[in-house]
Amino acid sequence: MRQAKILLVVIGLMTVATGNGPAWNIKVIANPSVKGDRVSIRELKNVYLGKASALSDGTPIEPVLARRGMAHEAFLKQCLDQSNEQLQLYYRGLVFSGKGSMPKEVNSDAEMVAYVARTRNAIGYVSADANTDGVRTLNIESPASRKLVTRIEPEYPDILRANRIGGVVRLEVTIAANGTVQAVEILGGNPILAEAAETAVRKWIYAPARSQTTLEVTIPFEAR
Amino acid sequence: MRFRLTTTLIAILPLLAAGSLVLRAQEIKIAGRPLEVHGSFSQGFMYTNQNNYLTDNTTSGSFGLTDGSLNLNYQIFNKLRVGAQVYDRKIGAIGRGTVQLDWALVDYRMKDWMGFRAGKVKTVLGLYNDTQDSEFLHTWALLPQSIYPVDLRESYIAHTGGDIYGDIPLKKLGTLSYTAYAGQRPNDLTGGYAYALGAYVPTIHVTSYTGLQVGQDVRWATPVSGLLLGASHQSQDVNGKGIMFNWAVLGIPDGSPFREGTVRDFTNQFYVQYQHRKLRIDGEYRRYWRNHSLYFNNATTPFNIASDSRSWYIAGAYRLHKRLEVGAYHSRYYADWNQTHNFRVETFTGSGDPPDNHIFDWTLTARVDLASYWNVKIEGHFMDGYGSPDSVHGFYQPQNPNGFQRTTNLLVVRTGFNF
Repeated sequence: MRQAKILLVVIGLMTVATGNGPAWNIKVIANPSVKGDRVSIRELKNVYLGKASALSDGTPIEPVLARRGMAHEAFLKQCLDQSNEQLQLYYRGLVFSGKGSMPKEVNSDAEMVAYVARTRNAIGYVSADANTDGVRTLNIESPASRKLVTRIEPEYPDILRANRIGGVVRLEVTIAANGTVQAVEILGGNPILAEAAETAVRKWIYAPARSQTTLEVTIPFEAR
Repeated sequence: MRFRLTTTLIAILPLLAAGSLVLRAQEIKIAGRPLEVHGSFSQGFMYTNQNNYLTDNTTSGSFGLTDGSLNLNYQIFNKLRVGAQVYDRKIGAIGRGTVQLDWALVDYRMKDWMGFRAGKVKTVLGLYNDTQDSEFLHTWALLPQSIYPVDLRESYIAHTGGDIYGDIPLKKLGTLSYTAYAGQRPNDLTGGYAYALGAYVPTIHVTSYTGLQVGQDVRWATPVSGLLLGASHQSQDVNGKGIMFNWAVLGIPDGSPFREGTVRDFTNQFYVQYQHRKLRIDGEYRRYWRNHSLYFNNATTPFNIASDSRSWYIAGAYRLHKRLEVGAYHSRYYADWNQTHNFRVETFTGSGDPPDNHIFDWTLTARVDLASYWNVKIEGHFMDGYGSPDSVHGFYQPQNPNGFQRTTNLLVVRTGFNF
C-alpha cells in the first residue's frame, strides 16, 4: 500500500513537471466565509487594485498580498499584468496621497494560508502545490471564459482520497458554439485525478456563443 | 557652491533608514487592526549652465531641493479609514522649511461606486497632481514643469472640504472612476507666487492667498489593458491680500493695502496613459484660464488682468532592468496662448514664439533603484525660454538680475528614501 502511494505521488509529480501549454501554477484561496467557487481575472484585478471591495456576487473581500516568491510573481503576471515594482508604487501612491492603505502582506505560502484561514473574507494566492488545509480554493476564470451552465463535480478516486493525495488538474477544454464540450486535453496533474476530471468535464454544458472556444480549466482536488 | 543641506536633514537620513527597518519588522496594532506608518525623504542637487532656476543660485550648483513626509493610516473598519500626513519642503526660497499638514481625512467608502472623504484632501487633477510630492513614485527627478510646476504646487495640491468618489465597473468596457470635490485651497504664503510678488520691485508682501475650489475628475480604465483616459476640471475663486512697498512711482505710500480677487478662473486637463509591462507612456494637456482683479491702496476700480496659459507634455519610460529605468519627456508651457498667436509677434524679432512667453523642455532621465526603498535619479533638462515675469515657472528676476538667457541646461541629481 505504501509503495502504491509513493508511486502515485511520483507519477503525479512527473506529470505536473512535464505539463505544457499556458499554466495556472497558482491557486487562489479564500477564507471559508467566502461563498462561490470561482473568481475571474477581472474580479481579482479590481479587488487587488482597490477598485472593488467585493466579488461580483456581493461577497466582501479582503485581499492579501505576498511580498515575494514564485506564486507572487505568477499572480502578478497572470492576474494583475504588473511587475512587483509597479504594484508597490501603485499602493504607495494610494498611501502617500491619502487615497488608500496597503493590503496585508505575508512572507510565504504557509503564512498566506494561515492568515486567510483565520481572517474572515480574506482572499490570497499560493503555489499550486501548497498545502491549503483550512481554506477554500477558488477556480480562476480566464478572460476568455464562457459561462458554465451545468457543472458535474468529478469523482475523487477512493484510493487517493484514502491516502490523502490531492492536487490540481489542468485541462484544455474545447467548447462548441452550442455549449457542449467537444474535446478535453490534459495539461497537467496526477493522471488518476486528471482522468476523473476529464470524465466530469466532458459532461459540462456552457452557454452558447458565436463560435468555438478553447480555454484552460483548473480543478483542485483537496485532500482532507 | 552653496551647500544648504543642514545637519538636521543629514540626521534624518539614517533615522529614516533605521525607522524603515524597525517599522517593517514591527506591526503596530490598535484594536486588532494595523496602524500603518510610512514616510519619505528626498535630497536633490541642481546645476544650470545659465539662468538661475527655482529661486536658487543653481549656476553655482545648489542642494536646495529637499523634502520629506510622514503619514499614518488606520482602517477603523472595512469601510472607514482615517489618516494624516505632514510634509515639509525647502526648494530654494520656496517652502521655507516649515512642516505643514499635507492631508488629514476621514474616508468612508459606503459602496465601491460611492465613497466620501472629508478633511484636508489631496486634489485629484490629471495623472499626478495628488502624488507630485512623492518623487519615489515617479521616473523623473522633476515632473514635467509645464503642468506640475514645483513653485505653484500649492495652487492645486489640496483642499479643505470634501470629496465624493467611486469606481463604476463597466464589465467588458473597463472601469470608470470619478471624483468630485469642493473646498478651500491652502493659504499659500510660501509658494512661488507669493515669493515673486515679495521679491520683485515694486513689492507686495502677501499676507493671505486662498479661496474656494470646486472640481471633478473622470478617468476610464479602458478594455485595452493598460490604457487609461481621463479629464479633469477645476474652478476657483481666489482672494489675496497683501501690503505694498516701493510703489512711489504710482504715488502709493509704503504699507498700503493690496487686494486681489478672481473674476474667472478655471483649469481643464486631459490625459492619457498607456502601460504595457516595462513600458509606460503618458501625455497630458492643460489649459489654465485666469482673469483676476487687482485693487491697489483701497481703490474701488480694479485693474483686470487675464491670461490663457496652455501646457502639455508627452513622456515615455522603459524599465531596462529591475534596478534601472530610463525615460524622456518633452514638455511645453505657453504663459499666454494669445500672445503666442497675436500681438507679441510684432515686438519680437526672433524666430518662433518669444522666450519670455514659453518654456520648452526636453528631458532625459535614468532612475536607479538601489533598493525597494532607495532610488537615485540623474536627469538632464534642455530648456528653451524662461516664461513671463508672472509665469512662476522656475525663472525669477531676483536670481537673474542681469536678465535671462534664452536657453538653460539643467542637471538634477536626486535621491529618495521611503518606507
